[in-house]
Amino acid sequence: MLWFVRSAIVALFPRVERDGVVIPGAADCGLDEFLKRFKAETTTLVWLGTVLGAFVFHFTPLLTIFVPLPAFLLPKGLLDRHAAGITTTSIYLLRQAVFLVKLPGGLCWGADPQVRKLIALPPLGTDPGTWRAAG
Amino acid sequence: MSHVSFQTEHFEAEVDFVVVGSGAGGAAAAVTLARGGQKVAIVEAGAWRDPEHYPQSTFGALRDLMDDFGAQVTLGGAFWPVVQARTVGGTTVVNSAICVRTPGDIFRQWEAEHGLRGLEAGVLAAQDVIERELAVEEVPESARGRSNVLAKHGADRLGWADSHYMKRYVKQCEGAGRCMQGCTGRRKQSVNLNYVPEVLERGGVVVSCAPVDRLVFEGTRAVGVKGRFVHPGTRKPGGEFVIRARKAVVVAASATHSPVLLMRSGLELPALGRFFRSHPGTGVFGVYDDPIDQNVGATQGWASVAFREQPGLKLETLAIPPELVASRLAGGGTVLMERLARYRHIAMWCHAVRAESHGTVKPGLFGSARPVIRYQLNRADMERFRVGMTLLAKQHFAAGARAIIPGIAGLPYELGPDQLRLIEEGPLDPKHYIAILSHLFGGCVMGTDPKTSVTDARGRVHGVEGLVVADASVIPTNLGVNPQHTIMGLAVVFAQALLEQHSGVRVGVAA
Ligand SMILES: Cc1cc2nc3c(=O)[nH]c(=O)nc-3n(C[C@H](O)[C@H](O)[C@H](O)COP(=O)(O)OP(=O)(O)OC[C@H]3O[C@@H](n4cnc5c(N)ncnc54)[C@H](O)[C@@H]3O)c2cc1C
Ligand code: SF4
Repeated sequence: MLWFVRSAIVALFPRVERDGVVIPGAADCGLDEFLKRFKAETTTLVWLGTVLGAFVFHFTPLLTIFVPLPAFLLPKGLLDRHAAGITTTSIYLLRQAVFLVKLPGGLCWGADPQVRKLIALPPLGTDPGTWRAAG
Repeated sequence: MSHVSFQTEHFEAEVDFVVVGSGAGGAAAAVTLARGGQKVAIVEAGAWRDPEHYPQSTFGALRDLMDDFGAQVTLGGAFWPVVQARTVGGTTVVNSAICVRTPGDIFRQWEAEHGLRGLEAGVLAAQDVIERELAVEEVPESARGRSNVLAKHGADRLGWADSHYMKRYVKQCEGAGRCMQGCTGRRKQSVNLNYVPEVLERGGVVVSCAPVDRLVFEGTRAVGVKGRFVHPGTRKPGGEFVIRARKAVVVAASATHSPVLLMRSGLELPALGRFFRSHPGTGVFGVYDDPIDQNVGATQGWASVAFREQPGLKLETLAIPPELVASRLAGGGTVLMERLARYRHIAMWCHAVRAESHGTVKPGLFGSARPVIRYQLNRADMERFRVGMTLLAKQHFAAGARAIIPGIAGLPYELGPDQLRLIEEGPLDPKHYIAILSHLFGGCVMGTDPKTSVTDARGRVHGVEGLVVADASVIPTNLGVNPQHTIMGLAVVFAQALLEQHSGVRVGVAA
């Protein structure tokens, strides 16, 4: 299931180069590690939502670019058009569902040190995941 | 000194007062009771995290600090997130610490519409003390950042009746712009840093990782609480806990959890879970030629209450972290990345609508503790919502923005100054907008009539002895300003009334 979610996120956040500046894509931002962590540490409901979002993303190219193929089989150009189309579709439920997979993509991308450097922000430290013990 | 955290063994205790929830309302009530010489137990669903435990990333904040990973949404139409924290200190740990006194007209409205008398002097006196204790100060010049300064400039150019740098419960803000992940620099005075530890120092008990499942009654008297510890990492259940209250139970689990806890404990009051309200809000981004770097400077630093009465909204700056901007901006693929490439040049300012619509809060499927919130804005509120967005757009242009990003589905991604009509005449269906609910009210509203309210003017639940609600859920109207100060002021007054009832000693102005 991870590859399914991963490929949707990579399509939503691709690496882009403009005027000699590289904007890292989600795949450049430790996405595999992040998704393992996300799946393990989020709630079951949120993970199910993420998978649902990926499902909607992959099985709607017919609605956006009129191609009867799942998104994971689309060539790069068509995939990019689908990613733009499905995130702005006028069908609310689909837009919301895709948002559920865009959200973890953003959480991964925006926390990456290369991305933060590009937007003049210092790198984030680690999440200690600790709490005050009894006493 | 005794803090009890997650454990697999059974835990029991007996105290004078049990306080459920350690957020704005719970901590203020608990410290007032402890200062009155009472033995208090605070029972909190979340873990106790000090600044050294705070997460750095937004993912970490959702995981460690937020209720339900921030995934709670309204039902009944548009899915708008309902954001709250689940940690010792409650939502004060993740909020922006904006401190606004309860406006006088609110007390008059409460008296006229709900028969609530005698609250104003006590609440304002409590707010005086809280402001001193929690070091309330205006955002210092060094921490304002460009977004806040530009917002003031834009509002001043438009000649708005009010345009000010905020006062917050923050001691010398260093402008780290990460209030939502918890202030690791200990500048923000969230109540986990002051009132909760003070309860311990005064001989109280804090029981963390302990979501209360049921209130315990003897006849019509509340005598304690019970539940099961939950591990903050694995979320696996631990041992049971039972905490008895010799004098009273104070419920302060928030506007969504308090009504659900009362319902799941078997209380049947006609108004329980009704009159849930909020200040829904959304942001409008301005696009500027020069870098704004919105995450440098106070997370929220500027505000205006010029439109609080007409049309009924508050305007503020708000810097959300890049992790959330990435999913907040419309689009996907190359087009989204190109939008994100201009991140340094965008600034988000937002509104909080004084919405009149109300909804309901109920337990989840099969009576689970996960609140189900049914809430949608009516047409009048959506019109306010739209006007607020137009005002924000005008403010951006007055501040020198080249374009604005309204984030309205169906409208162009960016609009220029001559396209504001598109927002003014924009859709009134909430599904076109991305809003969040962070100021929540109601569910256990105060009033004099048990048919239309759950508590009296001192938070005492109608028809039950020894049970007080002291959080946002008692507030029977919207406020039009940020609610933490009102919640804390009310909680102090309710606790003072409890002290008077149980010790006969007059405490505070309101007693
Ligand atoms: C992002 C954000 C920013 C905000 N910024 C501001 C601001 O700048 N200024 C302002 O005035 N307001 C702000 N607010 C709103 C303000 O923080 C809340 O209105 C306020 O904290 C609510 O107080 P409360 O006591 O009702 O609930 P909370 O502060 O949410 O506390 C409730 C506590 O009860 C606990 N709890 C829930 N269920 C149980 C249970 N069953 N057993 C035990 N414990 C339980 C929760 O874990 C939580 O700790 C903001 C809110 C958000 C989400
Ligand atoms: S802006 Fe930064 S320093 Fe200031 S209160 Fe928020 S987190 Fe703390």
